[in-house]
Amino acid sequence: MMFWIFAALLTLAASLAVMRPFLRKSADAAHGDQHDIAVYRDQLAELERERERGLLDEGEAEEARAEIGRRILGLQKSDASQEAANGNQGALVKVVAIAAVLSVPVVSWATYQLIGRPDIPAQPLAARLEKDPAQASLDELVARAENYLAENPQDARGWDTLGPVYIRLGRYRDAANAFRKAIDTAGGTAEREAALGEALVGVGEGVVTGEAEAAFIRAREHDPANPRARFYLGMAAAQEGDSARAGKIWRALAEELDDASPWKGAAASALADLTGGSPSQNDDAATDSNSAYERQQMIEGMVASLDAKLRDNPRDAEGWRRLIRSYVVLNKPSEAKDALDRAVAAFGAGSEEADALNAFAKELGVSSTE
Amino acid sequence: MTRKQKRLAVIGTGMGFLAVAAALVFYALGQQTSYFYMPGDLLTRPAVAGDRIRLGGLVQAGSVVRGEGTQVRFAINDADNSVQVTYNGILPDLFREGQGVVTEGTLGPDGVFVADTVLAKHDENYMPREMAESLKERGVWQEQ
Amino acid sequence: MSVELGHFALILAFALSLVQASAPLVGARLGNGRLMQIGEPAAITGFALITLAFAALMLAYVQSDFSVLNVWENSHSAKPLLFKLTGTWGNHEGSMLLWVLILSLFGAMVAFFGSNLPPSLRANVLAVQGMIASAFLLFILATSNPFARLQPAPIEGRDLNPILQDVGLAVHPPLLYLGYVGFSISFSFAVAALLDGRIDAAWARWVRPWTLAAWAFLTGGIAMGSYWAYYELGWGGFWFWDPVENASFLPWLSGTALLHSALVMEKRGALKIWTVLLAILTFSLSLLGTFLVRSGVLTSVHTFASDPARGVFILAILMLFIGGALALFAWRASALAPGGLFHPISREGALVLNNLLLTTAAATVLVGTLYPLLVEAVTGDKISVGAPFFNLTFLPLFLPLLLAMPFGPVLAWKRGDLVAAAQRLHLAFAVAAIAGFMVYFLVDRATAFAAIGVGIGLWLVCGAIADLAVKAGAGKVGPVVGLRRLWGLPRAMKGTALAHAGMGLTVLGVVCVTTLEAERIVTMQPGDRVEISDFSLRFDDIRPFTGPNYSEEQAFFTLFSSGGRQIGEIVSSKRFYTARGMPTTEAGIETLLLSQLYISIGDATSAGGLVVRVWWKPMVTLIWLGALVMMIGGTVSLLDRRLRIGAPKASPKRRLATAGEGG
Repeated sequence: MMFWIFAALLTLAASLAVMRPFLRKSADAAHGDQHDIAVYRDQLAELERERERGLLDEGEAEEARAEIGRRILGLQKSDASQEAANGNQGALVKVVAIAAVLSVPVVSWATYQLIGRPDIPAQPLAARLEKDPAQASLDELVARAENYLAENPQDARGWDTLGPVYIRLGRYRDAANAFRKAIDTAGGTAEREAALGEALVGVGEGVVTGEAEAAFIRAREHDPANPRARFYLGMAAAQEGDSARAGKIWRALAEELDDASPWKGAAASALADLTGGSPSQNDDAATDSNSAYERQQMIEGMVASLDAKLRDNPRDAEGWRRLIRSYVVLNKPSEAKDALDRAVAAFGAGSEEADALNAFAKELGVSSTE
Repeated sequence: MTRKQKRLAVIGTGMGFLAVAAALVFYALGQQTSYFYMPGDLLTRPAVAGDRIRLGGLVQAGSVVRGEGTQVRFAINDADNSVQVTYNGILPDLFREGQGVVTEGTLGPDGVFVADTVLAKHDENYMPREMAESLKERGVWQEQ
Repeated sequence: MSVELGHFALILAFALSLVQASAPLVGARLGNGRLMQIGEPAAITGFALITLAFAALMLAYVQSDFSVLNVWENSHSAKPLLFKLTGTWGNHEGSMLLWVLILSLFGAMVAFFGSNLPPSLRANVLAVQGMIASAFLLFILATSNPFARLQPAPIEGRDLNPILQDVGLAVHPPLLYLGYVGFSISFSFAVAALLDGRIDAAWARWVRPWTLAAWAFLTGGIAMGSYWAYYELGWGGFWFWDPVENASFLPWLSGTALLHSALVMEKRGALKIWTVLLAILTFSLSLLGTFLVRSGVLTSVHTFASDPARGVFILAILMLFIGGALALFAWRASALAPGGLFHPISREGALVLNNLLLTTAAATVLVGTLYPLLVEAVTGDKISVGAPFFNLTFLPLFLPLLLAMPFGPVLAWKRGDLVAAAQRLHLAFAVAAIAGFMVYFLVDRATAFAAIGVGIGLWLVCGAIADLAVKAGAGKVGPVVGLRRLWGLPRAMKGTALAHAGMGLTVLGVVCVTTLEAERIVTMQPGDRVEISDFSLRFDDIRPFTGPNYSEEQAFFTLFSSGGRQIGEIVSSKRFYTARGMPTTEAGIETLLLSQLYISIGDATSAGGLVVRVWWKPMVTLIWLGALVMMIGGTVSLLDRRLRIGAPKASPKRRLATAGEGG
């Protein structure tokens, strides 16, 4: 409501501005020539100054003075006869004036109707973060934690808590940054270094980069038994093509750890991958199918969180690509198709992003319902 | 001189300058422009060894080798071809394997491109236009 | 509410600009005073509304309101406040809004200060301004609306491009736009004069201050952009002949020509038609620059995310205004009476030479910038035109201009005496020649470039000084009287001398850096030293550091003189901005008098070393200090009494006061 009142006031002010010349008593019409004559008079004075300073000799000055004089005379001749034509155009002037005054509210309100979004209020971040935590979405809670940590960057426990949340949300870069800050403020531990490494693997889209490997090595220096670091160092070896070393690491891990550790299953299934085909074709070990199941669960959990995130924040083309690809990998074509439809709807059918997503999905064998 | 002659003199001087400028421009365009190549183009219209050209493409994954001191060697590829490049200096911030780059330099007789300038894209949306088009034609890269 | 109110204000300003574009024009045709007067309140109100819209967008940035698409795309809640503010124009939509804000500011200033302009001229000028404003407001609303909304609003933004997170963004675009858009006033005056069919010395007197102001801003904007690129991109270059740099340089060249031809027109009534043409061309080149940057047709570091629809729209605006103005020019120019006579050897003659050289030089830059487009359109070949082309074409045309520059101010109007002028400059020439020889024999005998360049730079500086000295009566009067007379010289004269000397300083800087610069690229371990020029640089340490929205590795260096004395500590770093996942290099710069030592670090090598690139850049700061002096010269000139009054109605009291001050 307030918005409409202010909008109306602004419109009124703008219309009045256009009307202003007509509200005055008389329009003063000055002759253009007076202005010119003033300039020429100024030039004469300047000429005089230059002559005094000796920049011009008497002859030159005289010549210049004559020329300026000629121009002043020239002005008188061209004196306009415009005023004469002023009489019988009153009606036309009136029409133009009314059209001008009316066009301001008409054009502005019509255009605003077309492209304005009066239904969306302004949403300053600070106000959004003050909402009741119970109603806040996960993203909002994360943002609130970020705000807190921006003011208290020394709170290592805060970073330790936020890091894994980022990993779950797929924000690997932020996760890596959080673990780095925890390490900077409270020192490196095996857990933190290994978590940093894992985040960096996420940044590298599954590749154990040199940076990540360095983090895992540091973690192992803190605690040679850290299973996370060891597992990923095995993966690094496998990615470098050193299957023997990878196998050695994973085998040791699978043997040493007790059954409660999630890394035991992970190591075992990785080992199975390494030694003979994919786990789905591999039916000899119950632990394998068990861990494969676990892994499937984990992947599905990640996909579900991505899906949820995209529902909150649908203008993320890269996110939609990941989601569609994940559903295809998980062999869920109907979900993939559904995701594509939602993505296209988010960007608007026919938009550049939607077309790109359609093309992308087509390559994966998914086509939208259109 | 009469008014007319003076005006002619001014116009004549102007034309003279324009003629000089035009001559310089034509000469310089003949000498100082460099053509843009993708690795595949080098097969279809070979560049003369020693001519300055620009070579663009994606940095081939796993190809970056740092040599002695500041020497760097990497390969630039498009869909099916790749060219070895050597460069002495600091690589730009956004130089990464798998990313688009444009290098400027000369092709050596051994087929290795010696670059004296390496430009990477300046942010995640930026890709030199000529390269984006060439890559799209070859289906290597898709508009994000 | 604030966001939508800003949006509404922008739309209202568009409606108002349509009225401003039409009603005064009709009024001027009909000779109706009231209709003509609509222009002023419309221009002032329009400016107020666009200011409101801009403030609303800025508020959205400060409050991190991610329900605004533009804010979400270009901001981040952790970004420092300064960059939230400047981020408002660090993107296509916001910078277009800044563009029209400045356009409307100039329009409002004409309305406000132009009360002594002839009414029909004022009405026509404001109408043309209204046309430009409505075209660009329509462009913004139709293709690049900064107030587009996002519902539901994301919780975090995508951050501003790290390269733009710098104070440079606070200064460079506003200054540049003040320059670009300032030339719209000259353009509007030119078109208005053509519509009126009347043009005279008084017209030139109105146009000159606007052109001068725009020129000074543009000079500052270009220089600031150059310095920003120099320290931010980490390549240590100050000018790349990048298409977008050229796009800002073109209006500068033709604007400089316009400044000088308007002078001839004001003083002597000559070159009317040419001045009007230059005014049209200068703004056209500004528009062309806008088109090149926004449409993405050229490859450049400045390119905004390109969108063909925008390119076509701006191209349409470009054709409409340039085509319309040139057609009007072709139709009406002959109605403008030719002006006074002059001898080739005279101040006018020198200024004509200046104009011919500047416009030809501008033409070569234009060809070099557009040639790749042309070739690709015709043959499909992709080529690039770089620095060597411009060095080969632009410099040969610019050099004679520099050589002739000191002669201009010492020649008399109408009929000059070359011998007398040369006598006035003989000391300046001697200084320049001796300095050139000294550079050749003592500093750099490899090529003559350094010697010639330094000679030319000093020739300009000393020529400007000699000009002032002669005008103050040096040699004829005692030092006390001389200094008093120097102080009493008209500001326009002092401004001219300053601007010419500034050009000389810039030339000196460019020449010294390009010919005498030293560069080393080395791999260093902590404790290693590298020798460069007369200095020794030690790499001490590398340490991590965390900023508000980035993390970085800072490399610490200590600089020693050849005698082993410690001069300073330099920090250069590699930053990583987390939100965009983008690294940047922060150069470490130590300024020693006018020269700088510039360090840029690269990647760590496998052996644990760091690739370090070090430059010794002698006299490099003169490049930008010279531009600053040029800008000051422009401002001093702008404050000249004659330009300041420019108005016949100045009160007698004020006239007396200024006369006393001037005499």
